[in-house]
This record gives sequence, structure tokens and C-alpha cells, in this order.
Amino acid sequence: MREVLEAYPGAQRALFRGYHIGGCSSCAFHSEETLDQLCLRNDNLDVEQVIAHIVRSHDEDQQLLIAPAELAGSMKRGDARLVDIRTREEWEAARIEGARFFTQELLQEMLSKWPRGELLAIYDHQGTKSQDAAAYFQGQGFQNVKSLRGGIDAWSQEVDPKIPRYRLE
Amino acid sequence: MDSELEKRVAEAMSNPRNMGEMAGADAVGTVGSPGCGDMLRMWIKFREDAGKKVIDRATFQAFGCETAIAVASLATEMIRGKTAEEALGLSGEQLAGELGPLPPMKIHCAQLVEGALRSALAPAGTEAAGPVAPGPEQAESLLDKFTQPGSQGAKPRIVFVKPGS
Repeated sequence: MREVLEAYPGAQRALFRGYHIGGCSSCAFHSEETLDQLCLRNDNLDVEQVIAHIVRSHDEDQQLLIAPAELAGSMKRGDARLVDIRTREEWEAARIEGARFFTQELLQEMLSKWPRGELLAIYDHQGTKSQDAAAYFQGQGFQNVKSLRGGIDAWSQEVDPKIPRYRLE
Repeated sequence: MDSELEKRVAEAMSNPRNMGEMAGADAVGTVGSPGCGDMLRMWIKFREDAGKKVIDRATFQAFGCETAIAVASLATEMIRGKTAEEALGLSGEQLAGELGPLPPMKIHCAQLVEGALRSALAPAGTEAAGPVAPGPEQAESLLDKFTQPGSQGAKPRIVFVKPGS
């Protein structure tokens, strides 16, 4: 699987979205096992179909993105929920108004109570980890989940310059 | 996930019971992969009942699949009133209770709950604690990727960027 992930960086997101594999430690796969073995122990999935699904993942990753201005519009209309997955230190340094800070408790609330059809947007610093988070929630049944393109850094450049930009050292 | 199971998991998730940390617990058990932090943690409080020490209540916190949360919710109800030995005798399948038989790819969710229970009730190294098999190295899961920002060494420092720079 290590080689699969090297060749297709979006493969893990695709596997979780499509087959609920690799999302948490209880459904994780091992770096050393083959895709064939992984399919075999997961209800004997059709390997060819799984490969085709992984190859399509790049396009799906692109569809997961939401532009800062588009999200700002949804936030203004009150039809989006926004979750911040950065560290607490980053959250305290700068945040987008209306966002909720991601914690273990919030995860449980989201999985048990949040409507699956509403727009759920996730952001991080620059839009890298939020892709994984969006795919995770998609695999948990959230039908309209997006990752903020460029993260809070892009938001402060394109939507709200009052939010200070920062870098991590 | 088949639709019947999905429905039962959704029912259990709509009213999850016993979620959250318990203050003053008598026993705490955690399972999870080493790189993943706390995957599922269970707190247990005992009481005396007719000279026997039985489980008064149990609570849990979980990171992971909703099936694991659903099973933990049901299992923490099921073990009330049982002795530690009786609770340890329950299999993952029994703990899943009304969720019914789980498909092969979901059995690990119930086993996780069984593991947390065992970790809380059976002191490490005893026979009941079972083998502590490290297993092969797991690839970092999606959840790990966005929940473990500080796992790669020292915490990064935040440096504000001056406007226009």
C-alpha cells in the first residue's frame, strides 16, 4: 500500500470515501500489505474496480474544494457549518468567525447529531490537511462536505484581510 | 455497509449513550494504534451489590468509525450490573448486541470496544488481558492525518506575517 499511496497520493481519501477503509485505526490498512490483500479482507472487493476508483480520485479531490469567496457567501447566508482543524495555538492566534474548533467532543457531536446534507466546510492553515478531513467526513456520510481552498491563509488574502496571516516555524 | 446495519447504526448514533469522560472512575482502559493516540477510551465505576463488585456505569470517548461509537454506546449499557469477569466474558459480537451480526469489514469496530473493556478491567500482563500483539505497522489513517498536528516532534511556532510582505 505504501507504493500505491506514493503513486496516487489521493488514494487513501478515495478508499475511505468509496469503501470505508483507512479512515481510522480500526479500519486502517498496513503499509506492507498489497491492494489485493486489502480487497480480499474487505468483503473480497473487486480489485479492478478499486483501482479504477483510485484513479478517479484526483478529479474527486478537486471537487472537494470550495473557494474562499464562495464559502464566505454561504456563511453570510447561514447555510454552512465551518470547522477549524488546526492546533489550538493557531486557533487562538487567528480564526474565521463562525467556525468551531475541532475537538474529540466535536467529532462525536458531528457524527451523531449534524445533518448529513448541509454544507460542511473544513479549513486548516493552507488547505492540505483539510482535504483529508473532508474526505473523512464524506466517508462518514456527509454529502456536502468541502475543504477550503488555501485554508485560512487564502481566506485572509481573498475575503478578510483583518485576519492576520502567519507561518509556522 | 448494508442498509439494515446502516439504519441500526444510525439509530444508535442518534441517541448515543454514556459518551464522555467520567470523573472518579475506578478503571480506565484505552485501545488504539501507537501512532494514533487514544482510539477508544472507556471509564468504569463499580458498586457493591449483594457482596459482589459489579459495574455501576461505564462511559467512553472514541475517535473513529461511527460503528465503533455505536457499539461502544450499546456495550456500556450492556455491562451495567455485571461483574468484571462477566463483562470480560462478552465477545465483540455480543457487545454489538442489537446492531446484529456485523459484516466482516466492521467486526474490528466491535473488537475495538472489546479491547478497551479488556484494557480497563484486566490488569496488563494477566491472562485475561490477552496477548498484546503489536501487529504490523499501520499506515497513518485519514483521521490521524488531521488530528495529530503535533505528533512529528516539537510544536511549530506561529510567526505573524507583516501585511504586504
